[in-house]
Amino acid sequence: MFASKRLGKSCPQLQDKLPPGITLVKADDFREWLMDIQVMDENPIYKGETYRLKFIFSQSYPIEAPEVVFVRNDMRPIPIHPHIYSNGIICLDLLDRQGWSPVHNVESVCVSLQSMLTSNTKNERPPGDEAFVRSNTQRPRDINFVFHDNSV
Amino acid sequence: MKVTIKEWNAVAAWRWDMPDDDVCGICRNPYDSTCSKCKYPGDDCPLLLGECNHSFHMHCIFSWLRQEAAQEKCPMCRQPFKSKNQEAGATEAGTPATNADTSPM
Repeated sequence: MFASKRLGKSCPQLQDKLPPGITLVKADDFREWLMDIQVMDENPIYKGETYRLKFIFSQSYPIEAPEVVFVRNDMRPIPIHPHIYSNGIICLDLLDRQGWSPVHNVESVCVSLQSMLTSNTKNERPPGDEAFVRSNTQRPRDINFVFHDNSV
Repeated sequence: MKVTIKEWNAVAAWRWDMPDDDVCGICRNPYDSTCSKCKYPGDDCPLLLGECNHSFHMHCIFSWLRQEAAQEKCPMCRQPFKSKNQEAGATEAGTPATNADTSPM
């Protein structure tokens, strides 16, 4: 109830006035939303690409963080970034239990991810990406990320 | 001429003493409205002002503070969230009974 009410509130607003480079793709229910994001500056790593994000909301959103991952399809690759695994799992403190705040919303998460991409200069995956992607069976919210890198 | 009033209806409006266009950062409902779970605004769904001057519907901030992850911090500024109303209420005669309900601890 908590979640649906707030998501319902932000849905029509979102359509009207999303920041540049952020589009609402699908929000049929209050459980799962799809968003597209683009990096708006000239960063060569991300220029001309569009990336798709999947938000999964629990009943207690926004008290609990949504689960946010990049998803791949023919047109939408997974962005290359030292904190984004090639299966789309994102290591970002604000999406983690310890870094989340209930004043965040879909829009602010998208903006944070845009800025995380914009500011990145390393055209690489996280260390251990291949092994992690091969072996990981956990949902993103159950992974205990260790946040150590404040540079990106 | 003498006028006799046979009947009168009083109408009153109220609002919280808060900026007009402001919403609770957690539920995004206007302060004058309720949190996502309540039906009736006002005393049944009061606001709580923090020492950091951030305010929320009391029910909203309590749902947050109950989370271990909240670490008793304000969702806006991440300072320890302490209710300011508590101190204010304590100096007002006749209202100390409500204080217990507004403590975030």
